[in-house]
Amino acid sequence: MPLGTLDRAPPPFFKQGQSAFSKLMLFSALALFLMVADVRFKLTGPIRVAVATVLYPIQWAVMRPIEMMRGGGVYFSSLQQAQAAELDAKKRLATQAQRAAQVEQLNLENDRLRKLLTLRERTSTPGQAAEVMYDAADPFTRRVMVDKGQMQGIKPGSPVIDEGGVLGQVTRVYPLSSEVTLLIDREHAIPVLNTRTGARSVVYGDPSVHGGTLELRFMAGNADVQQGDILSTSGVDGVYPPGIPVARVEKVERRADSAFARISCQPLANTLGAKHVLLLDPYSVQIPLPAPVESSQNAPKKGAKR
Amino acid sequence: MIMRAGQQLLLPANPLFIWGSLIAALMVNVLLSYLFGRAAWPPDVLALALVFWAIHQPLRVGVGTAFFFGLAMDVHQGALLGQHALAYTALSFFAITVSRRLLWYSIPSQALQIFPLLAGAHLVQFAVRLIAGHGFPGWSFVLAPVMEALLWPMVTFILLAPQMRAPDPDANRPL
Repeated sequence: MPLGTLDRAPPPFFKQGQSAFSKLMLFSALALFLMVADVRFKLTGPIRVAVATVLYPIQWAVMRPIEMMRGGGVYFSSLQQAQAAELDAKKRLATQAQRAAQVEQLNLENDRLRKLLTLRERTSTPGQAAEVMYDAADPFTRRVMVDKGQMQGIKPGSPVIDEGGVLGQVTRVYPLSSEVTLLIDREHAIPVLNTRTGARSVVYGDPSVHGGTLELRFMAGNADVQQGDILSTSGVDGVYPPGIPVARVEKVERRADSAFARISCQPLANTLGAKHVLLLDPYSVQIPLPAPVESSQNAPKKGAKR
Repeated sequence: MIMRAGQQLLLPANPLFIWGSLIAALMVNVLLSYLFGRAAWPPDVLALALVFWAIHQPLRVGVGTAFFFGLAMDVHQGALLGQHALAYTALSFFAITVSRRLLWYSIPSQALQIFPLLAGAHLVQFAVRLIAGHGFPGWSFVLAPVMEALLWPMVTFILLAPQMRAPDPDANRPL
């Protein structure tokens, strides 16, 4: 039998290092500490970014071949699809043309009326287009990863929309990607406005297992909500710009045993299959800071005039 | 080390192959997550590879390695930081504990004995997320440890293949 056939180095007899049990204790304590720091104190951002940077080449190496294979498959069938999509887009453009033509005039009119009423001008929100890379693999939450990150100037908390409406919100930002929590995540809430009645409320993600829906909570049993109402962002949160559609009311259950109605809504954005999304800057970034304190002396006069 | 009757003598394990196989397992996990999204049922191949090396090479791959690979999985999944790390730490500790005994059994029997460990690792993650207040992932998550246990013979075959080669390759036995 030649040399090197067996593992010849004997195991160390005296210097055995830490025992497996003490290592278990050490690393479990470390893991528990990390979890508490992550959930309660939000301290783990730098660790995450560091690990994500190390992990990025691995993810890239795995993802490229898949994308290329999928791309290759789609390549041959995509011409017809492209033509169909163009036709569809043209039709949609034609139906929107009339409204689009009115927008200029309406904007002008709106500006004048707002000046007349001395209301603050509405800001328009700058945005960045991004592509959804993949669903985050965590089965406990509803998140997706998009391909824009810190390097492209994405900030945590930015609203994310697609062509249908609000899709979610950026919750973590890595150097080259960021994580978007979808509307339908059970920990996500968004303030909305019922466009028919103007009533403000808050929509929550549905906590049930396979729920792809939203829930309008804490609406009184006799509140004026009807099936088919469109809910749009109200803008009171300082995150989402006002007026972006969020959801349509699907079902209203008014029950005698509860003071609240049970209202479930369907998100208007394509929460399960969105591919191209727009990341907007948080709305509060655009709102100018309140005037400095010196002007507080003449503030009462203005208030008195009103 | 006492030799087991009727089993082939193994070549020494190559440290490069050990680390390469762990990274490859991480890549397989990443691949599964791209293919199946947020489904809870795909098997955790990285956990399986860590258990394998903790059983076959307890002096080389241990609790610390498992912890850092767990952190990588946490960041990849966007899960709670420390969730996989805790599960893998516990998993590799128990794997080291059973490592002296387990190799005396046949491979199907090994798979059967590994199963509670793997199920425990998934249960730890589930419990951690429940305590942190996250939702229920659906019953399909009970499938994952079953599939991992079923993959054990295949993992054993693949990861042990370099050590099963002939010590003196010749024309008849090139490998």
